[in-house]
Amino acid sequence: MIIGSYRQTEENELVKASIGGDKLAFGEIVRRYQKMVARTVKGMLGDSVFAEDIGQEVFIKLYHSLSEFRGEAKLSTYIQRIAVNLTLNEIKRRKRFFSMFSQKGNSEMYEFEVADHENEERREAKEIVNKALMRIDPKFRIIVTMRMLQGYSTKETAEILNLPLGTVLSRLSRAQEQLKGILEKL
Amino acid sequence: MKPSEIKKLIIGSMDADAAPEEIARRLEEEGISFDFSKGFSDRVIDKIFATGATIVRQAEFVRNLNYAFYRVALTGVAAIVILLISIFIMEGSISINSFLGLGDTYDESIVCLLTGN
Repeated sequence: MIIGSYRQTEENELVKASIGGDKLAFGEIVRRYQKMVARTVKGMLGDSVFAEDIGQEVFIKLYHSLSEFRGEAKLSTYIQRIAVNLTLNEIKRRKRFFSMFSQKGNSEMYEFEVADHENEERREAKEIVNKALMRIDPKFRIIVTMRMLQGYSTKETAEILNLPLGTVLSRLSRAQEQLKGILEKL
Repeated sequence: MKPSEIKKLIIGSMDADAAPEEIARRLEEEGISFDFSKGFSDRVIDKIFATGATIVRQAEFVRNLNYAFYRVALTGVAAIVILLISIFIMEGSISINSFLGLGDTYDESIVCLLTGN
């Protein structure tokens, strides 16, 4: 796909062109935000094939709802909200499935792959992050993903998750407590 | 980066006054990055526009079905009107009996007609 022509284009222009059915413009939006969506989805679900499916669903949903995007929030926030909602729905769906068919805990729903070619130090770093995400309560996992992987401020996190600032702050401190306990054992 | 430093960074990212952007950048430098597999955007675009084509095909089918229905319905109405006019001309009135072709028949004649005697 040739997306070079849209590399320098402003976001609102890309949105307008995408609403008009311009494949290349929407391809550029996907290119710009796919890493951000991957961090949210894979941070929450693990590096599995399902995460990729959810990632695709995020952009498909975005495409169909672009005409409703009024530009009041940033496009990245809008996409992030879709990603968070779809990921949380997937977690709920999995929880229901596992509670129906097996006694597996939440942690076993979470898969991660660490590439063989990576050096020892990087592998170790990745494993620590993965295990921390895998073991933390999903309720806090979203907060950890937003802060640690996406680098969002407390205010941005509250805006994306549609939560009061106080709630985010209290979840941050509870997530930190849980993380301390998890990381001590690693 | 040593494991202890990574752990410190993770815990520190949860501080209310932390600089999460800086922490995320440092973690990414340490190889903690996430992305979808190669060709992800192409697959998304293919899915969206293939679905679009399906919707267009569905819409075309519904439109053609409606068009066919109107043609059949109009032909049917025309046939009914012609039938009613011909009944009126032949029988002089439009009643249930005349519509069923029973205008001048008696019970006996129906028995004869059905039994052949």
